Amino acid sequence: MVSPRKYEYTDVEIVSFDNAREMRGYTRTPRAMYVGAPGKHGYLRLGFELDGDGKSILRDLDRRAPLIVQQELYFDEELPGMPCVYILSSGGPNVDGDRYRQIITLKKDSMAFVSTGAATKLARMQDNYSGLRQTIELDEGAYLEYLPEPIIPCANTRFISETDMRVHPSATVFYSEIFMGGRKYYGDGELFDYDILSVCTQGERPGGERLFREKFIISPKTFPIRDIGVMHGFDIFANVLVMTPKENIGPIYDATEPFYDADNRLAAGITHLPNDAGLLFKVLGMETGPVKRVVREFCSKVRTQVKGRPLPQEFPWR
Amino acid sequence: MKIMHLLQMTDSTFPVGTFSFSNGLETAAHLGVVRDAATLEQYTRSVARQGAFSDGVAALLAYRAAKEENLAAITEIDRGLMLFKMNDEARMMLQRMGKKLAELAVKLFPDYSPIAEWLEEIQGESTPGSYPVAQGLSFAASGLGEEELFASHQYGVINMVLSAALRCVRVSHYDTQLILQRLCAESGALYEEARQMTFEDMNSFVPEMDIFASLHEKGNMRMFMN
Repeated sequence: MVSPRKYEYTDVEIVSFDNAREMRGYTRTPRAMYVGAPGKHGYLRLGFELDGDGKSILRDLDRRAPLIVQQELYFDEELPGMPCVYILSSGGPNVDGDRYRQIITLKKDSMAFVSTGAATKLARMQDNYSGLRQTIELDEGAYLEYLPEPIIPCANTRFISETDMRVHPSATVFYSEIFMGGRKYYGDGELFDYDILSVCTQGERPGGERLFREKFIISPKTFPIRDIGVMHGFDIFANVLVMTPKENIGPIYDATEPFYDADNRLAAGITHLPNDAGLLFKVLGMETGPVKRVVREFCSKVRTQVKGRPLPQEFPWR
Repeated sequence: MKIMHLLQMTDSTFPVGTFSFSNGLETAAHLGVVRDAATLEQYTRSVARQGAFSDGVAALLAYRAAKEENLAAITEIDRGLMLFKMNDEARMMLQRMGKKLAELAVKLFPDYSPIAEWLEEIQGESTPGSYPVAQGLSFAASGLGEEELFASHQYGVINMVLSAALRCVRVSHYDTQLILQRLCAESGALYEEARQMTFEDMNSFVPEMDIFASLHEKGNMRMFMN
């Protein structure tokens, strides 16, 4: 990677995807606030580790507007020792030209739960795009559940994300994303009316050994997204990557049944990531409730295998 | 008559085992999602597009590396493509067909050393030996061009699904030939995109197909190997 440039007013690296082929048509300077303007270049660094008593804590927290994380809470009744944080954005939705950088690190044997306070709305864009670069690093024996609320792409929006997961062979990361087709009930319905979503997730070992690379580009205006094999009749897509020690892969795979329920318009499938890196789980559905439930049930299987405890019931207001 | 090589390597009787695979069609047909010519065309179009922007790109990159006789770049593309393959049956298909083609190509093009060197690496398990890379090498060896390679690749992907369809979907030979003709006509636009893509640009978005693949992998339908 080239050494990151810095803006004059801030000390964090600049996030840019201007060289990504699929974003080349969207690099005009926004007519509103320019790319990198204060409040439009979010930065978040979360570092979890064990304290002297062996309790997992959020030791390191650094952030720049609009990203906010407050103090960690311990609200998981099944794993009361697990710090839980919500990532919030004071800016509301992602708007034209926004850039975000998130770094989540878990040191040896620590654990954490990370989510978002609300769905991530990707607002309508006209000049530029919004982008997120993430790095997730887990040391020996660490355990991370990353279960954010869904992403809602509004009409004409553009979003690109790149996530690098550097995970020790003894650690487990559960990384989930739920992509809605859009604001389904807005006006006459606003489904798959966006310009582009480009999502790339890579897994590697701490030494740099590459394990897998998943990239999908969804540009509903340029290809038939409703074709059989793609989204077909479904409106929501969830993608879950689980990196976990080799001995956990078999039991989780065996405990998870793929299904295709045509009556209730809900389907899920599981497969092995290359190089014994873990598992990939995909869900298709019509509404967020059932899709989130399937993702959480799968997370519960992973947690039971790794930590011996299930997921607690979801809060009624979530 | 280089074009004879193109016909030979694209022919469905070319012994690389294409007939054993359905690319998820067996499950889609069993569920009733693919049930006639119209639904088959949609499904095959999804397979063709996905193939173009992953395996098709890898084949083109391997071809260019082979033209430069750059074995290190060839194995890099081979390994890179496998990082991208998200299910066991897809990996198995690519490796099984890749090795078969490499073994055959060594005999067909004995004077072209990169294939022999690459086959040695496959046998030593230092590279996975994927089918698109084997195609790239074979086309470089035969003196055919990039566009011919891409056409052959896409034709193979489309024909694999349509041949399987004749055995598990209620369609006729007329139906499949008409679909083949329409999808071939769309391949030029895919090539224009794919030829400009690098490893970083390779992508695939077929979530419903991925779920079919998972159902096949865990189920007991076994007319096809995927």
